[in-house]
Amino acid sequence: MSEHAAPAVKPADDPAFQLPASLRSLQMPLLGGGLVALLIGMGLAFSVSDADMPRFGMSAYLTAFLYVLTIVLGCLFFVLIQHLVRAGWSVVVRRVAECIMIMTVPMAFLFLPILFSVFSEGALFIWTDPEYASKLHLDENMWETKKLFLNAPFFLLRALIYFGIWGALAVYYWRGSVNQDETGERAATDRMQYWSGPAVMAFSLSLSFAAFDWGMSLAPMWFSTMFGVYMFAGGILAAHCAITLMTYVLQRAGALKEEVTPEHYHDLGKYIFGFVVFWTYISFSQYMLIWYGNIPEETEWFFSRQEGGFGYLSIGLIFFHWLLPFFGTMSRHVRRRPGVMAFWAAYILVVHFIDIYWIVMPEARMVEHHTIPGFGGALGILASLLCVVGMTALVVGLVLRVAGGNRVVPVRDPRLRESIIFENI
Amino acid sequence: MSETKIETTVHGMMAEFTTVDSLLSACRRVRDAGYTKTDAYTPFPVHGIDKALGIKPTVLPWICLIAGATGTCIALAMQIWMNSIDYKYIISGKPFLSLPAFIPVAFELTILLASFGAFFGMWALNGLPKFSNPMFTDPRFDRATDDRFFLYVDASDERYDAAGVRSLMADTGSDYINEVVEDDSPKEVPKPVFLIWGLSVAASLVPLICILTMRVTNSSQPRFHIFFDMDFSPAKDAQQVTSLFVDNRAMRSDVPGTVARGQMEESLDMLTGIDVEALTLTDPPRVERLVRAYMQADDQAKAEEQETLEKEAEATDEATEAAEAAPASVMDTTPWVEKNPLTVDADLLATGQQQFAIYCSVCHGMDGYGNGLVNQRAQSISAPTWVPPASMHQETLYADKYPDGKLFSTISNGIRKMPGYAGQIKLKDRWAIVAYVRALQKSQNASLDLVPDAKKAAVEKAVEEAKAELKRQAEEAEKAAAARQQAQQ
Repeated sequence: MSEHAAPAVKPADDPAFQLPASLRSLQMPLLGGGLVALLIGMGLAFSVSDADMPRFGMSAYLTAFLYVLTIVLGCLFFVLIQHLVRAGWSVVVRRVAECIMIMTVPMAFLFLPILFSVFSEGALFIWTDPEYASKLHLDENMWETKKLFLNAPFFLLRALIYFGIWGALAVYYWRGSVNQDETGERAATDRMQYWSGPAVMAFSLSLSFAAFDWGMSLAPMWFSTMFGVYMFAGGILAAHCAITLMTYVLQRAGALKEEVTPEHYHDLGKYIFGFVVFWTYISFSQYMLIWYGNIPEETEWFFSRQEGGFGYLSIGLIFFHWLLPFFGTMSRHVRRRPGVMAFWAAYILVVHFIDIYWIVMPEARMVEHHTIPGFGGALGILASLLCVVGMTALVVGLVLRVAGGNRVVPVRDPRLRESIIFENI
Repeated sequence: MSETKIETTVHGMMAEFTTVDSLLSACRRVRDAGYTKTDAYTPFPVHGIDKALGIKPTVLPWICLIAGATGTCIALAMQIWMNSIDYKYIISGKPFLSLPAFIPVAFELTILLASFGAFFGMWALNGLPKFSNPMFTDPRFDRATDDRFFLYVDASDERYDAAGVRSLMADTGSDYINEVVEDDSPKEVPKPVFLIWGLSVAASLVPLICILTMRVTNSSQPRFHIFFDMDFSPAKDAQQVTSLFVDNRAMRSDVPGTVARGQMEESLDMLTGIDVEALTLTDPPRVERLVRAYMQADDQAKAEEQETLEKEAEATDEATEAAEAAPASVMDTTPWVEKNPLTVDADLLATGQQQFAIYCSVCHGMDGYGNGLVNQRAQSISAPTWVPPASMHQETLYADKYPDGKLFSTISNGIRKMPGYAGQIKLKDRWAIVAYVRALQKSQNASLDLVPDAKKAAVEKAVEEAKAELKRQAEEAEKAAAARQQAQQ
């Protein structure tokens, strides 16, 4: 578009496009430390599991897994949507999203423990317990029908389909972008744009069903058609925060100094603000319909989240997942300050964990006799935190490894220049 | 507006540019030269032009925020006032003030007012509506909507000086620089516009007039209904049929196991006359049955309960016959409520007296001795199946042997030949009758000491009068009998 005074795009091998050495050296500590923290956390979590909370160990793992997965998938969606709308502004931060997006592949391996747990009865999902229906005196016909969907082999098949779709999309868009760094062919961009429409559709459906499988089926008798959107809302919000935070870290370490400007933080900030509202809108819509309908089989899920300490978490989510970041990121003066936006991004990444924890953990309790959901004491909280910190560190280590082997910006993207000189107003 | 000159008013200076970049650099030059009353006209939004012209960030976001917050407050205040204060109404079993239900409206009103704030705030800040602009006087300006870019410096700017601006603009490489002069085309609104306005207003009145005419004039045609289904609601009335259900009944009976709102205000003790807590210890299945019968409208449970009561009464009668001296409640193991659950006061007794007179006295007599009109008639025709009504004044019916709860149960469910009156007499009225019967029983054994001193004389006088009256009646009856005997003889 405009041709006015702008910095020339640097050559592809400029050090501004490489992962800075300070971050490169963090790879191994993050990978090793993450793995150790994850293993210790898992050990602790299994030691907390008792008669009251038999599924605590695997639930802690699932919490960590879903936390990282929602962010990774959010980044995949970010990349897809940028291609779908042929966005110019986002090119300088797109490689960051792509580096996180390609983590779909290691996430498939991190899914294996969950897959195993489905084949060991009642280790994570209560519906895998063969006595579940009789313990709760469920109607047999109804339960037989539910089992057509909720059974281990079909669960395995669906997981394969989900990871198949996400893996294929992530690899395709990753390869297309990375190869363009070398070839610089414009056709690669056209190809990626061409496939982005069907990709978004496949992504949305698979994400929705995956959320049903891995989040909603923790309470097999509960259902909410919005649940997939709810998980997506949290994930896409956290993904924008992860992109913002990682871009900021890269800039602090010395990369992308001139390429990413307050204009880009401003835009990312608008999205963060928007998705804070979107998450609130979706989660409230889900709550209000169930609250208003007041049907026991639907309210049960929220009911168990109002007991024990989870009542405070439920109220806390309103204030800390909506009200605080809503007013915090509302002003353009905030959005145009990279440091402040990085703070809000980090903050929301923390509350996103609380959101996921709030979804998963109340279901770790025993069901035959209604027990109040708990955190597993100080040790349980420590275990949950170690798990998520460990898995996040592990994946961040992998992200740095991938980023280190490539450039941190799609250097020959046809819209790179447009993105660099982009201005909001 | 700038100062008026004799010939034409000069509003400012405009320059035409062919590219965005030349416009932007000209904007920067003008900005750096210190001009503040400037504007740029482009066929499409140009990023960065605010900065190039030195335009300060707009206050529109603040207007938008304040309007939005006003919307939230109005919506919440409105709903709290309407639903929780002014017109309390239970909706879907929720509390009068239930915040989640108010959120959607609060959200919508926030959005609405924020949008209004943004839209009308933008108008106000831009000085809209503005039907004409002096820029339009220059025919070359038409291309501002096509492929030309214009920079404008207003003459009211402090630094404005026609020659200086002209040379600055020429410096920036503009090919065409011109003064913007007052539009001298006629200012009055063209006549056809008024005509069109008038016609539009007239046309918009036609439907209204048609409707009004139909509503006020006499006509042999049926009345015209604008909203037919609002005048004739498709909802079913009582006793109508419907094809919606297999049994064709539009009125639906209660779902088993449910209690309609307002139907279950009283405790089970009050409904049955049984001390349910005590019964729980001795006979839990019967408690369960009572709950089903009285709280869940289970007809079968009610029938079973009725059977139990009948059996109990039979057993009591047999036992009484077997051992005349034995207390009536010997076989009765039901823990009856001992005390009337209602507060016994003059009002309650008055109600009880009234209800007793209506429903009970026909058999049991106004005085409760069991000689009501029905009984007198049955005796006079020697009705073969007639069981004389019990006198309320036998000792077996006193409160210590026949507790209030049992008396209530008898009134409600009946005993021997007496039918139950639960369907005819209201719950509280039945308890009022119980209270009245107790008073009736006491009255027959009352001593004069119980009467307040002030009324003692009146009571004594009444007793004397009653005695005299009874004597007189007896004498009359004797005289009449004697007269009849004489007549026969």
